[in-house]
Amino acid sequence: MDEIRRHRTAECDRFELELEAYMEGEVRPFVLVHLRECVFCKVVSEDLLALRTAASELPLEEPSPAVWANVRARLSAEGAFAEKEGVWSWLWQLDLLRRPVPVAAFACMLALGCWMTAPRNYPQLEASASLAALEGQPAAVRSMSFVSGGTGLEQVVRELEEAFKAREGSLAPDVKATYENSLSSLDVSIRECNDSLQREPGNSLAHEYLFAAYSQKAEVLSSALEFDEGR
Amino acid sequence: MADRHQQKTIKTTAFPYGVGIFLCSLALPGLLVAAEGNRVEKTFEAAPNPRVTISNARGQILVRGWDKQQVHIVCSVVSPRVELDSEVIPPGGPADKVHFSTHILDPLVSGKDQTADYSLDVPMGTDLEIRDTQGSVKIEKLQGDDATVETVGGAIVVSDFTGHLFVRSIGGNIEVIRAAGRVEAYSITGDLHFVSPATSKLRATTTSGRILFEGDFPDGGDYSLSEYSGDMDIICPPSASFELNAKTDRGKLENAMPITIRHQPATPLSSANSLFGTHLTGKATVSLKSFSGTIRIRQR
Repeated sequence: MDEIRRHRTAECDRFELELEAYMEGEVRPFVLVHLRECVFCKVVSEDLLALRTAASELPLEEPSPAVWANVRARLSAEGAFAEKEGVWSWLWQLDLLRRPVPVAAFACMLALGCWMTAPRNYPQLEASASLAALEGQPAAVRSMSFVSGGTGLEQVVRELEEAFKAREGSLAPDVKATYENSLSSLDVSIRECNDSLQREPGNSLAHEYLFAAYSQKAEVLSSALEFDEGR
Repeated sequence: MADRHQQKTIKTTAFPYGVGIFLCSLALPGLLVAAEGNRVEKTFEAAPNPRVTISNARGQILVRGWDKQQVHIVCSVVSPRVELDSEVIPPGGPADKVHFSTHILDPLVSGKDQTADYSLDVPMGTDLEIRDTQGSVKIEKLQGDDATVETVGGAIVVSDFTGHLFVRSIGGNIEVIRAAGRVEAYSITGDLHFVSPATSKLRATTTSGRILFEGDFPDGGDYSLSEYSGDMDIICPPSASFELNAKTDRGKLENAMPITIRHQPATPLSSANSLFGTHLTGKATVSLKSFSGTIRIRQR
């Protein structure tokens, strides 16, 4: 490949410029001609096509509400929602998102690169280590750390709650009352489940309802923040 | 002299009446035009299985299925500073997608002035997505592919719907009557009510609301109902055939059905708080869960 690389020409540069449009379905005769002449560019094109095919066959997995809540909390903390013309419009102006194929291909290559270069982990050892670190914690905390993958759904909920408190004044009184009733209802369930787990750490129903209450609280708070921004 | 005075009095009192009638006759068409101006009616030709979305802040939304291949909408707004936005995709020919949204032109418009009431007729096979923050949503007689309804405080009532139904309200009550297909219903403080479902799969969760299930469990159906502190009532016919797994942590479990108790799965709950068994041949699967609410199972 290095050998081929040394013979890179001005046509290769033009090919690179036109390849994106060609892959989007535009008619680009130059690309077809160059593909017949340049082995390196032909290999690049074939790789991109293979990546696009593989990407299109990937199943669309819906992340859990906790993931969206986490993303929202982080963006909110970074002030992404402070102004309407925020980070998303900036991304949009880059014109990247309007060309999905090369972006998807790039993302696949990036993901592949990360996977190949990342150090190998040993999940069992990690799990043992994190459980060992939690040995001294109360049962409820252990439960939350376990179910939320150790990142702390509780922390996410707390951040969302702070963002909600800062903005709840802008909600219409009836809407605000609905959100507050729901949050108070969820707080009661969180408190009761925690009490229950203090007494019976092995209570699976309490573990289940505690996790559900935190997830629902994250969803309710996210919904309130979205509503506020959508006004 | 007295007659002349009377005539003058009649004339002076008759004048304002005449002016009033005249002014009213002028104002009436204006009032009618104004009322018409707050009501919008539109009809779109639709492609097979179109997607229809509605986004509204306040007001009632009623959606009915009909046998025409058209989407027909009537929208009424309270304030002239609120308007209906509609987008049709593709712009020409039968619509694959129709998006409706309530657009509040003036940010000072608040409360009930934001109200927009919608009434829609949509073709069978329509894929529906409705978001109505503080309004109620009603869907009637629709054979759809997929329907998603979300509200914050508004009630949701769906009757005679076939397809995949996803309904969620933070504080509103949810009622699903004679649904067929797959149903998912979630609320935090709202009540959930299911009447005569013919669904193959039902998932329902509320935190502090009540769950009332009235109907049979069709063969092979999979039903999972969960609430935290509200009560749960299951009322089914004596012919219902289902396998039951019911448990509550702090609440009570009251069963009036002749359930054949099966081997209890490993659980720390006492038999008073959990029940695992079958009614008749156990063709449907029913899971009932509560933390501190009471679960009641009885015959219709």
